[in-house]
Amino acid sequence: MTPPSSVRSASEWFLVTLFLLLTVIPLVDFLGRPLAGFHIPGSATYTQQLTFFLAFVGGLVATLAGRHLTLSSAGLIPGGGVRRFSDFFTACAAGSVTAVLTWASVGVVLAEKMQGQKLSFGLPIWVTESVMPLCLGLMTVVFILRSSPTLFGRICALALICAVFSLGLVTPGSAIAWFLAVVLLTATLLGSPVFAAMAGLGLILFWRESTPISAVAAEIYRLVGSPTLPAIPLLTAMGFILAETGAPRRLVHFFRALLGFMPGGVAVLVGAVCALFTALTGGSGVTIIALGGLVFPILLEDGYPEHFSLGLVTAAGSLGLLFPPCLAVILYSVVANVPTDQLFLGGLAPGLLLLVLVSLHGIRVSLKLKTPRQRFDPREVLSATWEAKWELSIPVAMALLFGTGLASLLETSAFACAYTILIACFIHRDLHPVRDLPGTLVKASALVGAVLILLSCAMGLTSYLVDAQIPDSLLQFARDHIHSPLIFLLVLNIVLLVLGSILEIFSAIIVLTPLVVPIGLAFGIHPVHLGVIFLANLELGFLFPPVGLNLLLSSSRFGKPMTELYLDVIPFLLILGSGVLLITYVPALSLGLLCWLGRI
Amino acid sequence: MGVHRRFVGSSILLSLVLFLPFLPTIPAWAAGDAAITIKVATLVPAGSEWHRILQEMGSEWQTASKGRLAFRLYPGGVAGDDADLVRKMRLGTLDAGLLTLTGISAIDRGMLALEVPLAYANDRELDCTLKQMSPQLEKEIEAKGFVLLGWTEGGWARFFTKTPVRTPEDMKKMKLFVWAGDDQYTELWKKAGFNPVPLPSTEIATALQTGLITAVSVNPQGALLLQWYKHVPYMTDLKWAMFLGGFVIAKSTWEKIPADLRPMVRESALKACQRLRDFSRQSESKDIEALKKNGVQVIPVDGPVLDQWRNLIQGVIPQVRGGYLPTDLLDKALKIRDECRGQEGRSGK
Repeated sequence: MTPPSSVRSASEWFLVTLFLLLTVIPLVDFLGRPLAGFHIPGSATYTQQLTFFLAFVGGLVATLAGRHLTLSSAGLIPGGGVRRFSDFFTACAAGSVTAVLTWASVGVVLAEKMQGQKLSFGLPIWVTESVMPLCLGLMTVVFILRSSPTLFGRICALALICAVFSLGLVTPGSAIAWFLAVVLLTATLLGSPVFAAMAGLGLILFWRESTPISAVAAEIYRLVGSPTLPAIPLLTAMGFILAETGAPRRLVHFFRALLGFMPGGVAVLVGAVCALFTALTGGSGVTIIALGGLVFPILLEDGYPEHFSLGLVTAAGSLGLLFPPCLAVILYSVVANVPTDQLFLGGLAPGLLLLVLVSLHGIRVSLKLKTPRQRFDPREVLSATWEAKWELSIPVAMALLFGTGLASLLETSAFACAYTILIACFIHRDLHPVRDLPGTLVKASALVGAVLILLSCAMGLTSYLVDAQIPDSLLQFARDHIHSPLIFLLVLNIVLLVLGSILEIFSAIIVLTPLVVPIGLAFGIHPVHLGVIFLANLELGFLFPPVGLNLLLSSSRFGKPMTELYLDVIPFLLILGSGVLLITYVPALSLGLLCWLGRI
Repeated sequence: MGVHRRFVGSSILLSLVLFLPFLPTIPAWAAGDAAITIKVATLVPAGSEWHRILQEMGSEWQTASKGRLAFRLYPGGVAGDDADLVRKMRLGTLDAGLLTLTGISAIDRGMLALEVPLAYANDRELDCTLKQMSPQLEKEIEAKGFVLLGWTEGGWARFFTKTPVRTPEDMKKMKLFVWAGDDQYTELWKKAGFNPVPLPSTEIATALQTGLITAVSVNPQGALLLQWYKHVPYMTDLKWAMFLGGFVIAKSTWEKIPADLRPMVRESALKACQRLRDFSRQSESKDIEALKKNGVQVIPVDGPVLDQWRNLIQGVIPQVRGGYLPTDLLDKALKIRDECRGQEGRSGK
């Protein structure tokens, strides 16, 4: 079912406006600071509220477009009656969760009304906060409409949702809670959005403890209100815009000219270009999609075997996860309360180590196969650098702005987003500012909405873990059963590897960080080192069978069966695995640079 | 990008993994009979002396009530910052909190009257004012659905700066950290001719390093523990404002506590607050000594320079009166302060 196009285009224009405002406001602050402190009063609150709007309006657009993150298992359901039933069932489950969340968020809005905080131009915050129940309510309507093509079916869905809603009147019992949890998990396996599972589980668990379920909605608001979070939509938009332009092609050309002369140069190139692109786009899987099709044929052309090439592209898809300005690092720093720049500095050497290990393997294979080498041509390098200069300047400019104290993290992200738009629309003219850019931003915002909603719902689940003092119990358990930090690190490696393979990285960070950080600190592991271990393990988890994200992406991008990919990535798993072990047991890799700079 | 539907992998397995091991443990708490669980959250760091004192208060509640009260403490901001805690107390998902004055002002803005910079010259003036103001403030808080069980303090905030700052003019050359989110406060600084830079608190350390900010106002203990003094090694010896705080419990929870237990809880909380206050007063001079040992230079402010600072604040007060701060509480606090100052002057003679 499609909504009237006017509704859709109105919300799309609204989103584009939100995005542009979110980019412009921090930039005004940044540019105005040297100019006698010209500024927008209360800009920080505005950017937070804009992000909040983006999360929910974007989430609504994602619901309308069916773009919420769901499990891959849904694709296995056959058509016909079974499919219709599962569509009905999943829509009802998701609708029930959003319906209950709507109610829970009304509670949060009312509490905010009592708090009485106002934006700098006098608009009470509870008014802007109302976008949360409004969009969640609309999402419920969309889910009901989507449940069935017939009126009867939709009425049934409504009735079911009302039934779930009325559970609020019942005294909670274990049996009902278990039943609901199982229903919810089934619905998620059948294709209901993952955010509904996260939020739903949080709701069930709080309800079971007779804690007001507004707790989940309060947590959703809390995450989106975090002052560093606006960097996420900005950097996501930047990655999206880059992927739609000729940037991947120009970067490949640049690295080829630079590295083609050495043995295995093409393999090294794949690693380097993928790392750079992942750092810029935030490790949300864009790399394999945007670059895979470009570099895979080059590898084959140069005589690398298909198995090696597939494995390499799959493995390289997440190599840049530790390099600035990758979103995963920023998010970890927000959740774990570790300074972002320290984490980036700490991740530099470990990130390079992983890159070098993969490159060495490529060189070894290439020497054995005697693949052709290109002559090093300085003129070619210069011209390729010149061609890719704008894309290459993005990370450099960001590092300079942030590193010299000219701009905060948010301002740097806003600058990067604006700069990328400038490059794409006016310098390379890959995107037309009126015809193409809004569409790209809308696509980006559906992803932003989907990601932010998922993040905040994961936060709702996390808040239950905190409320029930699970981290403390885990810490106690670890203290009782693990006596050496070395063993703890090994256990950490294994747990993160497995969870990293089944979890999407952002929700993994939100849900697992609060569990891992206290234990790590209790064992005397430096917070930066712990963060690097955490992220490096998740990076490896992307390759881990059976369902690591990169395996899924590669399999869909190159049309290969997963089982074939399992064999192809084994050498890379071993290489990167040893790298991760090195990172884990040699703290100097993560902390050496920081020590040398006198930062810790 | 059709891929996004797929790329989550089987997230839900996580829920299973997380869910299964701890579900059986829940009944243990639920089965705490009819015990009323009191969930207390705070920004106080886990493992600190503050944390220990609160834990001792909690075990006192548990033993003195013979298990009718259960106590759960969430330290270190795991449950959110102060504004989140107040919101959660309103929603009923938390029961109590040891809040900063900024947090309490989310309940009632009038509390900020106690934090007017330079209004109180020393501990004695502040104590004297707080003692007389407290009944009215408690009433205001109660009207908003909360019960205040005691006041705490975390030491006088002073300016730590990259280059020496003695006068307000020196300060105008600095880039001063302010909390992102407190817009009105930021505006006040701007109006007075300073350069506030609103940032999330997580970015302070980085911003001091890169030079995005060159001044921060913090108590000596904070400057020492967070090692900010390394980047801002000059301390302006100006008792700018006291980091006040209070132990607040939601009224709905308070009324759930059996009436015979309430005096015990109140007394125990009051005692804990007193201990916290004593602790921070004792540690202040030690912290300043430690800072000096680490190379921090103390810039004295007295006589005419102190007057410059005070005049600056006097100039701003009319602008905030009635807007940022409610008129009656502000006026009353300042009047009581003057009386206290007078008494002290007399007793001094």
